[in-house]
Amino acid sequence: MSLITIKNLWKEYGDNVVLERLNLNIEEGEFCTLVGPSGCGKTTFLKMLLGQETPTKGTFLLDGKPFPDEPSIERGIVFQRYSVFEHLSVLGNVLLSMELKESKFFGRLFGKKRKEAKEKAMQMLESVGLGDAAHKYPSELSGGMQQRLSIAQSLVIKPKILLLDEPFGALDPGIRADMHTLILDLWKRNNLTVIMVTHDLHESFYLGSRLLVFDKVRYDEQAPNAYGARITYDIPVGNEKGAILTKVDKSRKKETNNYDN
Amino acid sequence: MKRFMNLKPSKVTAFFLGLLPFIIAGIFYIVASDLRLAENPNDKLLPSMASFSEAIDRMALTPSKRTGEILFIEDTSASLHRLGLGILISAVLAMLIGIPLGFIPFVRAGFSPFVAAFSMVPPMAILPILFIVFGMGEIAKVALIVIGVTPLIVRDLQQRVSEIPAEQFIKAQTLGGSSWSIVIRVILPQIFPRLLDSVRLTLGTAWIFLISAEAISATEGLGYRIFLVRRYMSMDVILPYVAWITFLAFLFDYLLKKLTYKLFPWYSAGKENA
Amino acid sequence: MKNIFQSTSKLLVAATLVMGLGASSLMAEVKDKFTVSWTIYVGWMPWDYAQQKGIVDKWAKKYGIEIDLVQVNDYIESINQYTAGKFDGCLMTNMDALTIPAAGGVDSTALIMGDFSNGNDGIILKGKKNLADIKGQDVNLVELSVSHYLLARGLESVGLSERDVKVVNTSDADIVAAYSSNDVTALVPWNPQLSEIMTKKDANLVFDSSKIPGEIIDMLVINTEILKDNPKLAKALTGAWFEVMSLMKKGDTKALTFMAEASGTDLAGYKSQLKSTKMFYDPKEAVEFADSSALPNTMKKVSEFSFNHGLLGEGAPDAGFIGMEFPNGKRFGDPKNIKLRFIDTYVKMAAEGKL
Repeated sequence: MSLITIKNLWKEYGDNVVLERLNLNIEEGEFCTLVGPSGCGKTTFLKMLLGQETPTKGTFLLDGKPFPDEPSIERGIVFQRYSVFEHLSVLGNVLLSMELKESKFFGRLFGKKRKEAKEKAMQMLESVGLGDAAHKYPSELSGGMQQRLSIAQSLVIKPKILLLDEPFGALDPGIRADMHTLILDLWKRNNLTVIMVTHDLHESFYLGSRLLVFDKVRYDEQAPNAYGARITYDIPVGNEKGAILTKVDKSRKKETNNYDN
Repeated sequence: MKRFMNLKPSKVTAFFLGLLPFIIAGIFYIVASDLRLAENPNDKLLPSMASFSEAIDRMALTPSKRTGEILFIEDTSASLHRLGLGILISAVLAMLIGIPLGFIPFVRAGFSPFVAAFSMVPPMAILPILFIVFGMGEIAKVALIVIGVTPLIVRDLQQRVSEIPAEQFIKAQTLGGSSWSIVIRVILPQIFPRLLDSVRLTLGTAWIFLISAEAISATEGLGYRIFLVRRYMSMDVILPYVAWITFLAFLFDYLLKKLTYKLFPWYSAGKENA
Repeated sequence: MKNIFQSTSKLLVAATLVMGLGASSLMAEVKDKFTVSWTIYVGWMPWDYAQQKGIVDKWAKKYGIEIDLVQVNDYIESINQYTAGKFDGCLMTNMDALTIPAAGGVDSTALIMGDFSNGNDGIILKGKKNLADIKGQDVNLVELSVSHYLLARGLESVGLSERDVKVVNTSDADIVAAYSSNDVTALVPWNPQLSEIMTKKDANLVFDSSKIPGEIIDMLVINTEILKDNPKLAKALTGAWFEVMSLMKKGDTKALTFMAEASGTDLAGYKSQLKSTKMFYDPKEAVEFADSSALPNTMKKVSEFSFNHGLLGEGAPDAGFIGMEFPNGKRFGDPKNIKLRFIDTYVKMAAEGKL
């Protein structure tokens, strides 16, 4: 069974069809990059994965069960901006993840648990290269370091899927390259499932194991909103492990079959 | 020669330029006062500097003949006590109301219109109701400040809460946060410095309500004294009191600003970056 | 350098004068336009009637001058403005005339004593029936006003002093609402608030100004220097006043209804307020009152009360610090510092029909 199963999925806002007839399976360990022209629904799709939006109709399963219809612990997210908490130190930001997860009422850990969480947080920070900045506030960090922090914050509680919403879009090219290395490294080492929206084609080819292109297939000039976008290309990319590529191939075939039905 | 708009005064020049209007106002006062006193040595409208120092000596340095207390200190402590209590209660209430209002759609739908309407009610116009509910004593004075100031802070906080980027709430949810734990770990700490800002901005209003409350019914307080001696036009007491109130208001503003930056270093840094 | 300084100070003086902050007496001279301020009060409504019905204009024209009566909403503010030199005359009580303009060095003359409070000011206790029960209570009143004076006189009458109560300064505008509050048990209001509170539950009138007749006097006060230079003003005002008085004496319903409505009540309400006001409808009565020996005695008491409350100014060594002059050459206090004068000159002219 796939991690994510999508069959004949539609998303409409009134008369405005955003996505139509999506069919897609995503396996554990895949790194999907989503590209497409603006307004093609890739952000809406990400929001559905996140739980911010719900599909209008169709099958939308996570681990064989319907997706939770609000953001939850299964899915981590890194936005382009604002996804770290400015009032907490770098360490505090990572600690908060474990505190919110484990302490429902106080949102805080005490004593031994706190000590353990702190150690775990420090390891996480080391692995994203923020070990030296643990006691700084986000406002003292560069944009790239803030994104590293946001990634650490999500990864420390091991979500099933890591969602990235144009996470490197606001960064300088040099820093972006560093971030690419980091995310690939984290992906490989932790066997993550990553879904990333980007508008940078180069990035989408370089990073992913699988590239999904969203676009409108049909277009009516009289009613531009009458038809939604679909996945027009679904191609294995990257120079990664063969196993994954095979998996991708398999799911592509399934999907193509669905198309034909 | 540069354009006038591009000329910038040096630090020293800026300091003296800032001082100049005060000096001019002072000279103006002294001339006007001398003119009036030359005609009528007992004139009370614009007293001389000497009568000010006499009045200050009488009110602030010499114990009152009748009560043995120093009136000025008694007045100041009574007023500050009311003001402090009023502001404190307003701030706590505003947090309790403003955060759910800005954060929970159901609460917003239910109460936002009411709060918006309530904040427009001029408290001075419904005084008789306040008297019956809160009596005429200390509670009434504090209540007037609370009723006058709380809606302002509530609406400001509601605005501030809704200005926290939605990304933060989503992120916190993906980390396992509940509505409650997000309030106490994400919203409260971020809203606190904004609350202090808001309090700072409403201090002026709070003073107005304090002075009004003391004018209506009191036995001591800065506003009480001003309205009492107004009965025999003792400007020699009123003007120093006004100066003192101005100074206190300025001081609180300054201290609150310092306190905010001290307690929340991330807040000021964030502001500079923004 | 000296020249620059001189011209600068000249400029400043000029600017000050332009801004209206100059001293009042600079303007004291023979002139033909006058302003007198008034506030709403039962005994002063005739002035409004006289103004609105052209009686003031008629008398002013007779003496070739113009008189403008200006209504001020806040009583104390109207006296303060008069004291600061904004008005030539103002309506006030005998006590306020002593403690505000006179104590402020503005030599003032009581031109017409129109009435005295004969029950318009009173002490009300909630629940209790005797004045002596006031002991130990908080008393809500306008501090340092005639209410305060009435309280002092009332306490004296039952062997108590101000030390036995606690005075809570309460604005007259809010005193009716204050009665409804549970923690208010004793009040000293004046009319119309007094009669309003008396309609409420448990309100008992335990002392009123009819027990100290002639001590709370409502009068028209004119700046002495302006009066000296402009007797025409005094004549016109006195003439107009007694013309309205004769209408009121006849019980002219139209005139009374007008006054009632202008003061925010109806004819019956106004008449009941008049009952507790001893109006001097006949100029002879007014002359008699001004000439009586009771007046200097009253002013002595008022002066002592004011001195004890620091109202004569901190520099005042005793109750006689501010000198007062009465008809027939009677005097009280420092003859070198006469700031308040009571005269019967013009009222007498009215009595003799010489206006």
